[in-house]
Amino acid sequence: MDEDLRRVIFATFSEVFETMFFTFLEPLEEAPGKEELACGKFIEATIGYSGGCNGRFIFCFPWELGKNITVNFLGVDEDEASDSQIIDTAAETANMAIGSLLGKLDPGGTASLAIPQARLLAEFSPETLLGVSGLCMFNTEFGILWVVGTHA
Amino acid sequence: MAFNILVTDDSETMRAVIKKTVSMSGVPVGEFHEAANGKEALAVLAETWIDVILSDINMPEMGGMELLKKVSEDEDLRKIPLIFITTEASDARQEEARKLGVAGYVKKPFQPEAIKAILYEVLEKAYAHRLEEKPDEEAGEESDF
Repeated sequence: MDEDLRRVIFATFSEVFETMFFTFLEPLEEAPGKEELACGKFIEATIGYSGGCNGRFIFCFPWELGKNITVNFLGVDEDEASDSQIIDTAAETANMAIGSLLGKLDPGGTASLAIPQARLLAEFSPETLLGVSGLCMFNTEFGILWVVGTHA
Repeated sequence: MAFNILVTDDSETMRAVIKKTVSMSGVPVGEFHEAANGKEALAVLAETWIDVILSDINMPEMGGMELLKKVSEDEDLRKIPLIFITTEASDARQEEARKLGVAGYVKKPFQPEAIKAILYEVLEKAYAHRLEEKPDEEAGEESDF
């Protein structure tokens, strides 16, 4: 993934997270420490687009990050956000982030966005993502957001 | 005086956020109705009096663009203004929507003020006489923004 695309991704995702979830992203250039790589509960959200250009992005949210953005999104207390709402918010986040990104990469609207899918990963280690082509990592107050994407 | 609003989005949480945003905008709301796609929205429209439709574009089964097309082709439904609230905001997509008669366009991510502004603009155009009426006691007129 080239640097220009990384910059557009960061700017786009930051806008989505700050506007909708009051959450700030900080790009990570280097592999995080062991604690951040430990197995745990994650949500995986996937979305693609095809047509004039093609791409596919996978978002891996630590559960606590998913919960936090859901709480901020809905404006509810922590214990009021249900698991299904947290998973739905992850899917909608992928939709908003990649929909906005596509608007910049494909202003002519030649590509169509697919429907996002999200699922719970009960035991997932983000260590498996290290070294994968197209990996972007963003530090947040509630853990690292892992994103693996392709665009052509 | 109050308006019945149909919120169409496949994300349950997004529907909840849009409903909350509209409620806080000061627009007098009679009833909210919800649909998860265009098909469900048409079923609601067949059964219920709706004053304005807020719809996503990217939805399974029937997307927002097809919903807008169906609404614009129907003699009764075409009077109902439809506002897109969507991530799909390319110039080409907006032009396509304009040709089909969309009343307004809000790009996700959105600030609550953007929804309030477009909603008032569209309601004033479509129902100016109703907005001039005095609000019911129950329908709060104050905006929380």
